[in-house]
Amino acid sequence: MNQVSVPRERLELLWWVIAATGALLGLRLFQLQVLDVVEYRLAAERNRSQIIPQTAPRGRIYDGIGVPLATNQPAFTLIFIPPGEGHIQQDLEPLARELSRQLGRDPIALQETLQTAVREESAVRLAENLPTRAMFQLSELKTIYPGVELIVEARRYYPYGRFASHLLGFMGKMSPREWRELKPKGYRADARVGKMGLEKTFETELSGRDGGIRMEVDAQGRLKRVLETIPWETGSNIHLTIDAAVQKAADDAVRKTASGRGAAVAVDPRTGAILALSSQPDFDPNAFLSTDPEEVKRTVAELPEFNNAISGAYPPGSIFKPIVGLAALSGGRVKPDDDFWCPGYYESGGRIFQCWEHKGHKRISWLMGLAHSCDVYFYQVGLKAGAAAIETFARDFGLGAATQIPLKGEKSGHLFGPETRRKSKKGWYDGDTLNLSIGQGELTVTPLQMAMVAAALSNRGTVWRPHYTQKIVYADGRPDYVQKPERMSLVRAPGAAWDQVQEALQLVVSSGTGVGARVPGLLVAGKTGTAQNPHGDDHAWFISYAARRGEPASIAIAVLIENGGHGGAVAAPVAKKMILARFGLPDPDAEREVRTAARAALAAPRLPSLRPAPAGTPH
Amino acid sequence: MRMHSGLGGRVDWTFVAAVASLVAAGTLAMLSAASTTIYYSAILQKHFIALTLGAILFTLTVAFNYQIFQDQSKCVYGVALFILIAVLVVGTTSRGHRAWLRFAGFSFQPAEFARVLTVLVLADLLDRRARQARDVSTVLMALAVAAPVMFLILKQPDYSTALTFLPMITGMLFCAGADLFHLLLVFGYGVLTLSVPLVYTFCQTRFPGAAAGSLPVLVLATSKMGWATLAVVVCLGALSAMAWRMATWMRLQVKPHLFLAVPVILSGSLLTGVALNRQLKSYQRNRFVAFVAPHTDVQGAAYNVIQSKVAIGSGGAWGKGLFSGTQSKLGFLPERHTDFIFANLGEEMGFLGTSLILGLYMVVLWRIVTAARQARDRYGYLVCAGLASMFAFVMALNIGMCVGLMPVAGIPLPLISYGGSSLVINLWSLGIVANIYARRYALL
Repeated sequence: MNQVSVPRERLELLWWVIAATGALLGLRLFQLQVLDVVEYRLAAERNRSQIIPQTAPRGRIYDGIGVPLATNQPAFTLIFIPPGEGHIQQDLEPLARELSRQLGRDPIALQETLQTAVREESAVRLAENLPTRAMFQLSELKTIYPGVELIVEARRYYPYGRFASHLLGFMGKMSPREWRELKPKGYRADARVGKMGLEKTFETELSGRDGGIRMEVDAQGRLKRVLETIPWETGSNIHLTIDAAVQKAADDAVRKTASGRGAAVAVDPRTGAILALSSQPDFDPNAFLSTDPEEVKRTVAELPEFNNAISGAYPPGSIFKPIVGLAALSGGRVKPDDDFWCPGYYESGGRIFQCWEHKGHKRISWLMGLAHSCDVYFYQVGLKAGAAAIETFARDFGLGAATQIPLKGEKSGHLFGPETRRKSKKGWYDGDTLNLSIGQGELTVTPLQMAMVAAALSNRGTVWRPHYTQKIVYADGRPDYVQKPERMSLVRAPGAAWDQVQEALQLVVSSGTGVGARVPGLLVAGKTGTAQNPHGDDHAWFISYAARRGEPASIAIAVLIENGGHGGAVAAPVAKKMILARFGLPDPDAEREVRTAARAALAAPRLPSLRPAPAGTPH
Repeated sequence: MRMHSGLGGRVDWTFVAAVASLVAAGTLAMLSAASTTIYYSAILQKHFIALTLGAILFTLTVAFNYQIFQDQSKCVYGVALFILIAVLVVGTTSRGHRAWLRFAGFSFQPAEFARVLTVLVLADLLDRRARQARDVSTVLMALAVAAPVMFLILKQPDYSTALTFLPMITGMLFCAGADLFHLLLVFGYGVLTLSVPLVYTFCQTRFPGAAAGSLPVLVLATSKMGWATLAVVVCLGALSAMAWRMATWMRLQVKPHLFLAVPVILSGSLLTGVALNRQLKSYQRNRFVAFVAPHTDVQGAAYNVIQSKVAIGSGGAWGKGLFSGTQSKLGFLPERHTDFIFANLGEEMGFLGTSLILGLYMVVLWRIVTAARQARDRYGYLVCAGLASMFAFVMALNIGMCVGLMPVAGIPLPLISYGGSSLVINLWSLGIVANIYARRYALL
């Protein structure tokens, strides 16, 4: 039929080229639409949606009986979503005027912002972190002007302000490193995270998942419609063992001391639960969340990062004497009624070791020795007991080792004794024993360690591992995490020795150096200390425990006031306030202060008179 | 003799059905894609007028004997040149292209019409020179005939449409039985010309801080009409002369004209490429940039391709449903009812829709090739081969652009994209194919 001669094989070749091209395109379409569909779906979704995020409430932090220590405040954010059509253009000017009055901003700039939003049909955030009172006034605008919306966001709030600040920590902007780590977990670039303390330690538990308003936008960014409102998810709540009353008493009392620097730690001797962990100087964690960037900058610059309660290692001084006494009494080397002679000094190896009381305590035995903290008595007792026994007891009480409390920066302090010296291949001399006997020399301890010692003295030898978590109530329905007490070590001593030590410690408070901590109706025991400090004034120490009569002690305390001077005068009253708070008793000093302040306010203004310091304050 | 009575039985109904399905799918896609524009009703009106016109033209063309175009070949060529000159003289300018003729309320884009007319003219030429098919003169004559048409289209300027001439001519020459070496030269010329701006852009974007004297800098210097270009041309000539001397000295059996043709083609393509490179407008340059380095400028030139890929990819297997594509309805996809309509289709109808369209195209192309195979004369054979090459290339270029395999070229997808004159002309040219098939038995 076809008599024309044409190169048909070339046509066939052309057809194969065309078919191959078609196949190639088909494969490419398969790749895009079937294999890589997820990736492109996401890209399309990113294209079309825009989210006005809403910050989720962080988990709350409660104290032992449910008092909120860190909570959230609704912060109101004012957004403007231009309504589709209508006569809003002429409403913008009164709206801008109204907003400028409420927000204290330039009305012309505000109007321009609003006009841009209307022109571009995109939502704008007009103001963030609005205070509650502004909210009520602004919510009225919402009814008058369409498009004005108030969205609620949660903002961290610490109701007590300067309160347990080193323990709770604070919130702040992420560092570049934190941003890299947290970005994959869904954090926003402007999110705040815990920067210190519990806020940092429990960041994962506390942080919730942010919600928001997801809107559909077109290629020009114009708002089309609201796609969905994504609800936020709250973070998990943490219940601490802290007793807010004790913590507050500790914070206030340490702050009011002359130096204003120090630490106060209270634990429950029955469990090792921390009731108060105070370090001064402290800070107000709310200041980091201020809407004023200058205030935030200043607060960050002045942040006292050092947590004296766990990171400060101080020589214990006389508060170490109960351990020396226990070592001596339990070894049987010293009987409670063995008399020693204190002429005001002790001579050993051609050196003179002073007693703090230069006149000397004359004839003295155990109870008076501890109650009046006679150095010469303890020099001799220490020599009799032996430095090795003292070192063993001190180690059993947990000194020289970190308590492993889950907080950053804990120090272990330093314990010295014959055994430690042997390890570092140095000799041990009687002079060292004398220094160790009164808690001086190379010995350093942290206030937290001494609180655990005080607890062990009250409960006859059980040294708990300190903990501050009571339970974590997970938001996602996981069973609660409940903290169990853990025993760190046990100090073994005969019951008679414990009786002697506890009786002496009670005597310290009832009639000895620690009367400043006496509370009528309660059984309070304690020991004062004045640690020599090569860098300045002596540090004031006081360890204590208290109980209702007939009950086991429910609070053990260690107070340290840096450069405070005498422990009995400075540190013991701090402990007393904490004990009063623990047992719910009124603080007579506070009442007196209130009355004085009221009188001062009524009277004509005059210079405050300097009250004489309490006379005759021993160690 | 049966004139029309038997024609119905000989019409390729598969072909007609495939073409109708493509047009229907295109109408559907266009209805959806154009729905966001403010000219929606005007677009619909124009589309349905063009559709009616195209259908009538298609039917009429099937009925008339296609050989009339061969008989009136000079006239056909004259019409092609006339309308292209007319558009340059009295045409309307839109978006920098003087590409539209307006009369009686209609506007008409003659470039694609001229392209089909060129196929008809070339088919006649190649048919008459069947005996000299393997001669280089045939190739040169074919190029000479196409050159004025291409030149006039380039004057509009419409580089993309002019570009589609090259594979079309190559396909026709190939099927006419031209010497493969000649075709290679022609093809090489075209490819080298186009590669000059491509290589230039590549060196410019990938090696922005290249040291003086390094290869990228030399390439950049060569790509600007200057001493470096002249030096390269002279070097090519010298090298070729040396090679020729070597070959004669070694008594190699190589055709001597090779030593003339290769350097002429190389330097010629280099010079035209350099000229083209200088002529490029910034948006055309950006298309090269977008192809060479798609992620350098996401909001700029590469934006279109990325959004197109996202649209197609996000459609998935089944699509988001007509009128429900977010990429196209929210305006992320550019040119969604014209050049990028395939992406709109891919988003809303998914892999199901795209593979169906692609399949219909392959059916149409297969039937064109079949028509060529069965054509009763060499002219019909060549017309079909030319149209098959043309449709295949345009389709591959457009879909390839939408899926990111080809650089962006502003050409519509035949039968699918919105464009009245394009639809009419394409239907008319397919009518010629149907006619060639229907008259495959040399009885009429």
